[in-house]
Amino acid sequence: MREKFIYALGSLGALALVANMYNIFLVLPDEANQGAIYRIIFFHVPAAIIAFTFFFVALICSVAFLAFKSSKADAVAVASTEVGVVFAIVNLVTGSIWGRNIWGIWWTWDYRITSMFVCVLLYLGYLIMRPAITDPTQRGTLSAVLSIFAFCDVPIVWFSIRWWRTQHPGPVLETGGLPHAMAMALLYNFIALLMIGTALVLVRLRSEHVQREIESLRRLALVEA
Amino acid sequence: MIEARNFMFLFYGLAAAWLIVIGYIFYLVRRDRKLSKELGRLRNLIGDGERTEK
Repeated sequence: MREKFIYALGSLGALALVANMYNIFLVLPDEANQGAIYRIIFFHVPAAIIAFTFFFVALICSVAFLAFKSSKADAVAVASTEVGVVFAIVNLVTGSIWGRNIWGIWWTWDYRITSMFVCVLLYLGYLIMRPAITDPTQRGTLSAVLSIFAFCDVPIVWFSIRWWRTQHPGPVLETGGLPHAMAMALLYNFIALLMIGTALVLVRLRSEHVQREIESLRRLALVEA
Repeated sequence: MIEARNFMFLFYGLAAAWLIVIGYIFYLVRRDRKLSKELGRLRNLIGDGERTEK
């Protein structure tokens, strides 16, 4: 049942994405100043929002783990973090390619870009640290603390374009600077990518459960030996 | 010329995004297979141990 749900969710997301591609590439006009390259925004922005959504889920689950010592909460936290990091990397890479075309440079140590880079490094640290700790309770506790600490960077990334003058373009979503048709295409792509991301989290969650079963069987095998 | 350059970078951007996501899906599938194999091996090992004890 759960397998079918994962496949259905992933397929529905992929179909929605393909349908939206038609709109993005063949219906929407080029942007007046940037030309065709502006279409990267339809992947760059949803990837960032999806990453932050999953980091927020990880934050809630980390707090739940610290409060109730629930291993399920820890499993959801790690699955959400891993998929969140993938989307955050997509955001950084697409942004860098857009920057090379528009600014003429691959990278700049701008507040928005640097804080996003730090965010990816913090969550990568979380993922690298976990396998190094063998005791599940200790691993869950340290991971939860790191996840809560790492999430402190998310509001900094989000508000950096308001707080400081940055080379990164200013906010267009909340200010209504984006035409309605483009905003809708962005919303549809966000929904489609979120469905694919959620399917990936569910797959990762399943492998986390198998990993835990393996760990408990190993402990059992050691006790028997 | 500018248009062609624009499309080239758009292609690079989208290709990179999909490569990262597809690469991660392959990583998940490989990891899943490896874990399933390991789980089967451990179950057999513990099952054999229990049978030997009996």
